[in-house]
Amino acid sequence: MEFLDLWDLILSGVIRGGLYVLMAMGLSLVFGVMNIPNFAHGEFYMIGAYTAYFIAQYLVPDPFICLLFAGLSGFVFGAVAEKLTFAPLRKYTKGNWIMNTFMVTAGITFILQNVVQATIGVNYYGINEYWGGTINTLGGIGISVDRLLAFALAMLAVLVFWLFLTYTKTGNAIRAVSESEIGARLIGINISFIHTLTFALSCMLVAMAGAVLLPINPAYPTMGLQPLYKSWFVVILVGMGNVSATLAGGLIVGLIEAFSAYYLGTGWMDVASLSVICMILIFKPSGIFGSEVRGVWEQ
Amino acid sequence: MTELTLNAQTKNSTADIVKTGLSKVGLSPLSLSMFFLLALVPLVLRDQYWLHMMTICLMFGALSIGFDLSAGFINVANWGYAAFMGVGAYTSAILLERFGITPWIGMIAGGLLAGSLGFLTGIITLRLRGMFTAILTWFLGLTMVALATQLVDLTRGSMGMMAEELFDTYVKDPYYYTILGLCVLTFCLVTRMVNSKLGLAFRAIGQSQDAAESLGVNPTYYRIINFTTSCTIAGVIGGFYAHFMCIITPEFLHTKHTIEILFIAFIGGRGSVWGGLVCAFLIIPALEFARPIVEWRFVIYGVMMIVIMIFMPEGIAPHITNAVNKIGQRINGLIHGEADQGR
Repeated sequence: MEFLDLWDLILSGVIRGGLYVLMAMGLSLVFGVMNIPNFAHGEFYMIGAYTAYFIAQYLVPDPFICLLFAGLSGFVFGAVAEKLTFAPLRKYTKGNWIMNTFMVTAGITFILQNVVQATIGVNYYGINEYWGGTINTLGGIGISVDRLLAFALAMLAVLVFWLFLTYTKTGNAIRAVSESEIGARLIGINISFIHTLTFALSCMLVAMAGAVLLPINPAYPTMGLQPLYKSWFVVILVGMGNVSATLAGGLIVGLIEAFSAYYLGTGWMDVASLSVICMILIFKPSGIFGSEVRGVWEQ
Repeated sequence: MTELTLNAQTKNSTADIVKTGLSKVGLSPLSLSMFFLLALVPLVLRDQYWLHMMTICLMFGALSIGFDLSAGFINVANWGYAAFMGVGAYTSAILLERFGITPWIGMIAGGLLAGSLGFLTGIITLRLRGMFTAILTWFLGLTMVALATQLVDLTRGSMGMMAEELFDTYVKDPYYYTILGLCVLTFCLVTRMVNSKLGLAFRAIGQSQDAAESLGVNPTYYRIINFTTSCTIAGVIGGFYAHFMCIITPEFLHTKHTIEILFIAFIGGRGSVWGGLVCAFLIIPALEFARPIVEWRFVIYGVMMIVIMIFMPEGIAPHITNAVNKIGQRINGLIHGEADQGR
């Protein structure tokens, strides 16, 4: 293999992986804080993509504004979904929480997908480009500006989110709840507020991913499936609930995919990456970086 | 007077004998009479469309019984259940197409193959608990979808595969009786299983694997038995499905179909065996009636799923049992009341 090919693969893998980080971070956070294995994660990605499409088509085709609005709508939808489903579920359920929430998120998937299909339709809604054009990198390999931009915006969102978790009081409260709910309650943290906020933030992040990827993946009702699998792949790889490790995990998954697509073709890429997940689950279920919430999983 | 009591006693004991005899094959008087009623359906219902739907109801009922065996007893939801079903369907269809083997043997072969895959899954998921197993089976299922799409030589990929019909007629009666037979078999097998020592072990493992282990229950053995049986059922029904619908696509193995089965089994009632069967007869015709509202019916489906999970996570089975018991008491009371008056 030539050096340039390798460079190309690494570059495309990293760019792909950066977006997986943005998608997977919310999934991991929600599992760490609320112990919800979210099956409806991809549907919020879809909401982000549709929002970005409508903003770009009817208001301004500016990626930053699209990103902001998509994040906002993801946040609102996430908060509403949490208040309507998980809040009452938490009140009534008596055990078997993880399985029940998994079912509830499956229900949310059905609702969101079909409401969108019924109201907006099954057509593909995409935009050609935010900015368009390509940039030549080392050795004359072109990368489209939109892809690069998506990567940059994703990294920016992840960075801001990271600062929020580390340096603000609310962010610290979220981390406290993920460490110990009882402890957090003892020092006066409003648990139900934190839960709603966490779910909304998680949906916001994945909706942003949907927005920045709009030029590459047009919006349609069942588009959330692929991001859902990829996010799960990342969080299983690094260990469920381990938010900081998703950064490394996303990049690893991106690279694995880029290389397996090169060697095996895109069809077999799915088989390869799914087999890797199965292997990890079999031999190292807590993920390569370990997970702090392993006990919850074993319920 | 003495004669009367004696008579009543002998009557009672014959009833008991019948009851124990039935329970040996895994039936109760109630379930037997219900299956008998189901067997009469094609004699009354001559509309092919409805018979087709009843066949689908029975199919989902049988699948949800198989699913419930692992979800309701050892507390492992098999999220790749549709894929195991798809393995059965593809096996049977491929055997027929390539080697001209009759679907009847194909179904059994499909069941065996799905069962052996279930056996392997059982082995590799041994170290895993709860959600881990669910997630692993989910991704195994997706791997099988990807394989079914990729192995174009064998499965014709995403174009889908045609399978010949099981019967050379356009009436649905033979299909109905076939699936009814399979359903009764499944029901008897699972009921027998869970009412025996195996069932106790399953329940113990489902409640707490550590506790069960400390009591000397070997989880390895029981979990593998459970998984294998459950997947074999999926494979056989999948083989039937292939020759009933006559087309299989990789889409058929997808998680979406697992959720349909899971939904029916969970609303029916985890750990009840028959709950899913009853529920299938309620949900599937209801969805069919709702066909004119297209997508909105799936929205209703989703809302129902959430509402049931929040307010009734145990499903409808316990409520039905309560109602039946109450009616039984009422009838008993009536009979005894009359007898008292007579005296």
